[in-house]
Amino acid sequence: MHEMSLMGDILQLVQEDSSQKGIEKIGKVELIVGEISNAMPDALRMAFDLFREQNLHLFTENAELIIHLEEAEAECILCGTQYRPSQKIALCPNCQVPSGKVLKGETFQVLSYEGSNE
Amino acid sequence: MKVTLRTDVLTNNNKAAEFNRELFESTRTLVVNLMSSPGAGKTTLLEETVRALTEKYRIGVIEGDLATEMDADRIRAMGAKAVQINTHGGCHLDARMVAASLAEFDLEEIDILFIENVGNLVCPSGYDLGQNHKVAVLSVPEGNDKIPKYSQMFMRTELVLLNKIDLLPYLDFSVEEARKDLSEINPQSELLPLSARTREGLHEWFSWIEGAYLKCVQQ
Repeated sequence: MHEMSLMGDILQLVQEDSSQKGIEKIGKVELIVGEISNAMPDALRMAFDLFREQNLHLFTENAELIIHLEEAEAECILCGTQYRPSQKIALCPNCQVPSGKVLKGETFQVLSYEGSNE
Repeated sequence: MKVTLRTDVLTNNNKAAEFNRELFESTRTLVVNLMSSPGAGKTTLLEETVRALTEKYRIGVIEGDLATEMDADRIRAMGAKAVQINTHGGCHLDARMVAASLAEFDLEEIDILFIENVGNLVCPSGYDLGQNHKVAVLSVPEGNDKIPKYSQMFMRTELVLLNKIDLLPYLDFSVEEARKDLSEINPQSELLPLSARTREGLHEWFSWIEGAYLKCVQQ
């Protein structure tokens, strides 16, 4: 897995924005992580802690990572049933036909961060 | 103070992928991103592909590996231009690595570019490289369970090459089951059974490439 490099990308996006705004320290960082986005929340938390320990000067004392999980959701194009997909993502539990389209669950976003100049 | 970003984590990768895509479009180069687990036979398949198509098309290959030039050397031996990217432990290629390696090609002189991703069925699937097509290679000895287990890979590929079908008589692999599993994950995806070793089924793969190439240059 590559959550360390993903966390590098996340913090780069945050820092680019914070330095433009003249913000000195990063506090809370909030992410939206989709269930089928290929990113693992636990590994992201570990990566965040590691980055923070190694770059204490960039973070406030109570900096933390908040992850909002986005459940996967699919809709059958034949019968309209909305369902939470299992591994067989396209299989509609109602018609038993592979006619489902993913609606949600692929998001992987930096939602927000808190900045501080203390 | 709270700042709302709502920015995709892979924004920088996606920008580089767009850069690559525009370049590929302007030079009318067909680009195929090949992904699989280690040992599925991507390089052997590419050797056979280069051997068969090199008289008709100018082929380039980007080889992604953790380390060594071994795969690029095998492709060069077949007469294609090959550039090795070593990720030094990184589990996937990203669009920036591909963009950097493109400087070593004259894309005007390349009709078809294959990108052989790092052997890994998880990480490469999320990274857009700017390719026209994502193709997965699965091999018979890996077993039927790989398609449902790695559904996030197979939901993002449009073609699955089922390699090493010469081993079907010796192993409990069901092509029908693989086809069914794939259709239940990604009904738009196709499964092509073949063997790079015995060359059975390779013609269907070559026809697929030629069809994709025609579509690419007609656009």
